[in-house]
Amino acid sequence: MLIPRRVKHRKQHRPDRSGAAKGGTRVVFGEFGIQALEHSYVTNRQIESARIAMTRHIRRGGKVWINIYPDRPLTKKPAETRMGSGKGSPEWWIANVKPGRVMFELSGVAEPVAREAMRRAMHKLPMKCRFVKREVGEA
Amino acid sequence: MSEVLIAAELRTEFGKGAARKIRRASKVPAVLYGHGTEPRHLTLPGHELLLALRTANVLIHVQGDGVDELVLPKGVQRDPIKGFVEHVDLLLVKRGEKVTVEIPVTVAGEVIGGALVDQQLVTVSVEAEATHIPSGVEVDVDGKDVGFVVTAGDLQLPNGVTLAGDPEALVLHVVAPQAAALPAEGAEAAEGEAPAEAAAE
Repeated sequence: MLIPRRVKHRKQHRPDRSGAAKGGTRVVFGEFGIQALEHSYVTNRQIESARIAMTRHIRRGGKVWINIYPDRPLTKKPAETRMGSGKGSPEWWIANVKPGRVMFELSGVAEPVAREAMRRAMHKLPMKCRFVKREVGEA
Repeated sequence: MSEVLIAAELRTEFGKGAARKIRRASKVPAVLYGHGTEPRHLTLPGHELLLALRTANVLIHVQGDGVDELVLPKGVQRDPIKGFVEHVDLLLVKRGEKVTVEIPVTVAGEVIGGALVDQQLVTVSVEAEATHIPSGVEVDVDGKDVGFVVTAGDLQLPNGVTLAGDPEALVLHVVAPQAAALPAEGAEAAEGEAPAEAAAE
């Protein structure tokens, strides 16, 4: 599972959930991709789960790219705790994904296989997504 | 490659307010520059431009409002979700002039069973006449086996087109597929503990 090896600050503010993706909105490495249509925090467990769903479907062959990285910690206070006494302890690692971001890419398989593999992966992700293909010849 | 004729209007109002007004009217703000000339700001019809931009490196003839130029789209800004064109940078070209453009590399044929085509370059940089830009270059991998390598220098480019990039750059190679690493169920459960451990640090 993806976890940063070292971080500068163990506890951070929650990332900004507004706006659209500024970059990474096109398929660049593979032939097909999963594009986010909504905002969401994607945890490292969800990323891993989506990757496994995809690779199990394509079996042999094909190559998968993961374009997002869960580099932001989220904290949580224990249950039934009174407010105050400092920030909770880090609980999850998340990638702050904004609409338009291509999160996963795939190549080396036929389109119907890629579509099904990515459909399975999308079920593991917390937001609305769509299947996208690489655009040829865009300036 | 044939030219696409697009009617253009000169733009006199600038900034995001004016640009948004143009987009609301189903038009696209654009800028035209090149050959050391002063940049000219234009408005182009949205639908016609969208259709024209479906072709890679399309040669556009912009005409109207004192503008009559041959141009190539240099940069296209699109809305990442809806896909409409937000702004276009147009580069002035002349007939017979050599330009450096990126053309797509497409793969044709099937490799020998089980092998995998690993395409490293999806476009190559070439130098061609502005009016004769090839739509793409095809690589035939039919019947090829593991170890087959194509570099940029190996590409069969049309007459009058020369490679602008590194000829040693790897375009694609055929590799043996690697079985997906499927961790055992127990191993997945053990992995699931990792974030909590990391959090406890």
